[in-house]
Amino acid sequence: MSQAGKDEAATPSNNSVCEPTKVDELQYVNYGDQKESQYLSAIRQLISQDLSEPYSIYVYRYFLYQWGDLCFMALDSSAKLIGVIVCKLEPHRGGPMRGYIAMLATRASHRGQGIASKLVRMAIEKMIEKDADEIALETEVDNEPSLRIYARLGFLRTKRLHRYYLNGNTAFRLVLYLKPGIPYQPTYPPEYGGPADGGGGAGLLEEDLFARQATQLQLEDVESERHDVTGGNVYR
Amino acid sequence: MSEAISRLRQEAEEAKSAWKPRVKDITEDFTSASNQLEPGQLVKDEWFTLFEAVGALEIMDPKMDSGFIPPGDTFEADFDPATPVSLPELLWVMDQILCLEIMWHAGYALSQTVFTSLHIDRLLGPQQPRIPTLYSPTGGGPPENLTEEQSIGHAVLTAYCVAVIKCCDMVVGLVQSQNFYEEEDFVTHLFGRELLPHMSTNTIDGMLDGVIPRLEDFGNVGEDVKEALLLRLQFRSIFLGVLSDRTSEQQWEQMLGLLKTIKTSHTFSTPLPDAFSDKVQRQLATSTPPRPMLSTSWEDACTKWSNMCEHIVAVNRLTQSEVVYSPACLQRAVWAFSYRGEAFPLPRAIMQDILFGEQAIRGEVLPYDLLLADIRDLVLAGDTLVDPQSFQVEVTTDPRHICSRLIEGFMDKAIEEYLNLYRMMCQNRCRIRRTFTQSIPIFDAMVTEAKNVDVELQKITASKKLTDTRTGKAYSLDPLSSWARFYKLRIMAWTIQLGFETEIYLPDELGGTYWFLAQLSQQRSELLDRVLQFTIGRSFHVRHDQNAVADCMLSEKYLESLHAVSEITRLIAEALWKLFTLLTSTGVVAKPERDYASQQLMYEARMKPYLAVVNDPVPSAAEFDDATTHHGSLEQTCNEVDEHIKEAKQLLVGVKKMTPEQAKYLGTEEEWKKEVKGLEATCIAVAVTASQVRNAGKKYGEDGELATKLECKAERRWAEWWVVPVIKEKVSSQVALR
Repeated sequence: MSQAGKDEAATPSNNSVCEPTKVDELQYVNYGDQKESQYLSAIRQLISQDLSEPYSIYVYRYFLYQWGDLCFMALDSSAKLIGVIVCKLEPHRGGPMRGYIAMLATRASHRGQGIASKLVRMAIEKMIEKDADEIALETEVDNEPSLRIYARLGFLRTKRLHRYYLNGNTAFRLVLYLKPGIPYQPTYPPEYGGPADGGGGAGLLEEDLFARQATQLQLEDVESERHDVTGGNVYR
Repeated sequence: MSEAISRLRQEAEEAKSAWKPRVKDITEDFTSASNQLEPGQLVKDEWFTLFEAVGALEIMDPKMDSGFIPPGDTFEADFDPATPVSLPELLWVMDQILCLEIMWHAGYALSQTVFTSLHIDRLLGPQQPRIPTLYSPTGGGPPENLTEEQSIGHAVLTAYCVAVIKCCDMVVGLVQSQNFYEEEDFVTHLFGRELLPHMSTNTIDGMLDGVIPRLEDFGNVGEDVKEALLLRLQFRSIFLGVLSDRTSEQQWEQMLGLLKTIKTSHTFSTPLPDAFSDKVQRQLATSTPPRPMLSTSWEDACTKWSNMCEHIVAVNRLTQSEVVYSPACLQRAVWAFSYRGEAFPLPRAIMQDILFGEQAIRGEVLPYDLLLADIRDLVLAGDTLVDPQSFQVEVTTDPRHICSRLIEGFMDKAIEEYLNLYRMMCQNRCRIRRTFTQSIPIFDAMVTEAKNVDVELQKITASKKLTDTRTGKAYSLDPLSSWARFYKLRIMAWTIQLGFETEIYLPDELGGTYWFLAQLSQQRSELLDRVLQFTIGRSFHVRHDQNAVADCMLSEKYLESLHAVSEITRLIAEALWKLFTLLTSTGVVAKPERDYASQQLMYEARMKPYLAVVNDPVPSAAEFDDATTHHGSLEQTCNEVDEHIKEAKQLLVGVKKMTPEQAKYLGTEEEWKKEVKGLEATCIAVAVTASQVRNAGKKYGEDGELATKLECKAERRWAEWWVVPVIKEKVSSQVALR
């Protein structure tokens, strides 16, 4: 999924060009287990502002209902939502416990102040506390501010994903290992997007087709390796 | 009996005309059902996953609901495809369809390209007769009082659009028959429509043939417009033909020729933008949000069409007979094809079709023969082990028979992944790198397998051993494992250099990465050197057999070229390793703070694709650490860099003298030259940076100062596969460095 804030660099930090305004004292709060919180619609609005693709309400609920403890919000003194991070944490294909940063956004007026970094740090700390083995995410290849934030925290680019997003943009997969030995842990093949799809004359099953469309909606789990380029059914 | 048939037919007709799209308003049912839920209450089963969540669309959200109609808007587009059009308008519509069609070829969905044509939408609509028409099935036939021009216009438009649809149908079939990545490279999704599967190309060709004379005979229109329309019909007819019978290569060139005239004759058209609308998406079956209708300039579309046709012409040129019999030439050819500008799925599918379509490459070379030739060219030239006649020996006690079975057994295991190499090169660049990384452990396992076979072969043939002049140790050729190892090492190097190309590495990682690349290249060079010694030895051994001697000599030249290229790679990699390491240690290349990372974990993340390698295990984290710690003085390092580059340049001089037969680049002569040039330019760029760093060192001293005075950008300006540091003085201290 994606990380908002591509135009961060273009936004003058601390409004230095305009009349200097005092940066409001922000408070960082956890979404918690409040299910349909008062912030849900604000979160949706903030994230959808920056992304060309829409997520349905179910996507938000999917994350927030199950991993509300991994969602952090930055609020200003009038409790207005300034920034948010949405994540999940579960075993990756039966292997390592993988944290996944699904969405990250900061209000355009507040960029360049380290809010996004702070949110990511909070999410990482929480994931470490919950015994995560690794953390992964995707971001657009030209999203410099986002790439900078994650590089600073220790993420490496492990893959380039051609036309990963619905708008045709390409992404980097970024990964941070938290424990040694992750590459040696066995994982099982991806549930969807097995090697058969994408050709070999196998034709398209409805399920494959659907999985691909889901892929385009920026889902990491469906974006899976299809190694066997001949279209056989063996995953290696 | 006949009565029954006619009754059935009548009933069928009635049933058909009774079909009408029905709309049921479910708003009330839905509201009352949802009122029984608490806000935020989620009703789901336990198998509801992120896939489902993401697949869900919110009705009445204009960003998600493709059926959403904004207030005041109409459900359907206002333009009726049955509306008479003038011939200049017809010309415009045909050209607009060409624009949209090429955008589809370039990877966009039909729903935002070809399907936005209201004429095509009508032809694909429900209840159309076997030969579809532009007239509404419920609204009767053609409008009354059509003029001859309008009548011709409708006939041409119908034939043209039907042909376009059929072309799309065949392109989908062709692309799907080969490997591609849906949505990444191409969108084959048809949104619930069928692309006239019941209509044969002959029928459609007949329709095109039928309208051409009508148009030719029509006098009441400018010759320019008429000529332009005829060109487009001709273009379409050739495209349709060449898709159904791809053996004719000239037709692609013919299309290229036509495109030039088509491009200029667009000026005679009169715009009819109303004939296109993305409102058609409201009636297409989809689980993705609506996508905007694409627009592209006429010039851009024509360029794209030309590029695509040129790629297809290139496929044929690159896979000439002289190429397909030589595995090395063929691999170079597929690489060259892969690096031809903008990628279109159709040429890629045609390439794969030529390689794998008929169980034989270009219908001539069997995959096993290709593999055997590869093994022969690389490690066993002139040896009876790979003589095709040895494989025909039936006497079971004959050593040739026994050896042939052993080699066959190995080839059985190797063939699939070996052929995959060619197929992988036909994919998009990101996928090439990723599938190659997955190929590494497979080739490594192949080395293990080959080692066992080599032991068996050695027992039977008792091949000569050579003695390492330095260590005094005797070693054997181990042909099959040497072959597999060569590929493994080369693929590993490729994945690194594809990593440069896809910008996987941050600047501060480049020092270590280049060191690793140099290690791999060194191993490859040593391997090739050994194989070369054996081949030279064999050429003496078989001196009575002229053919065998000739084979050996060809192989020697080839091995020399591979060795030279491997050495050049090693030398440039060593130069860049030292340069980047120096720049990183002085802080000129910034190192992110990486608050949550540790050296060991970063090593594991970065080296993941290589950690499973058993034969030639990769360097440890500690070795990496040591290699990326700068030793010695700045001056000394710059001198070493210069030495490496000097040596690489000398080798390049030799490489430039190699003929296409010697270095096996038949059919890719131009690309070879370009590669050599890229390497030369890279050498120069590295030397320039080294000299700038040396000068800066003299001026500012070797320590912390440098980082405040210099800035560095890692650039791939000279060759796709080489990232070179480019140094500039920071603005505050801008004084000439030279």
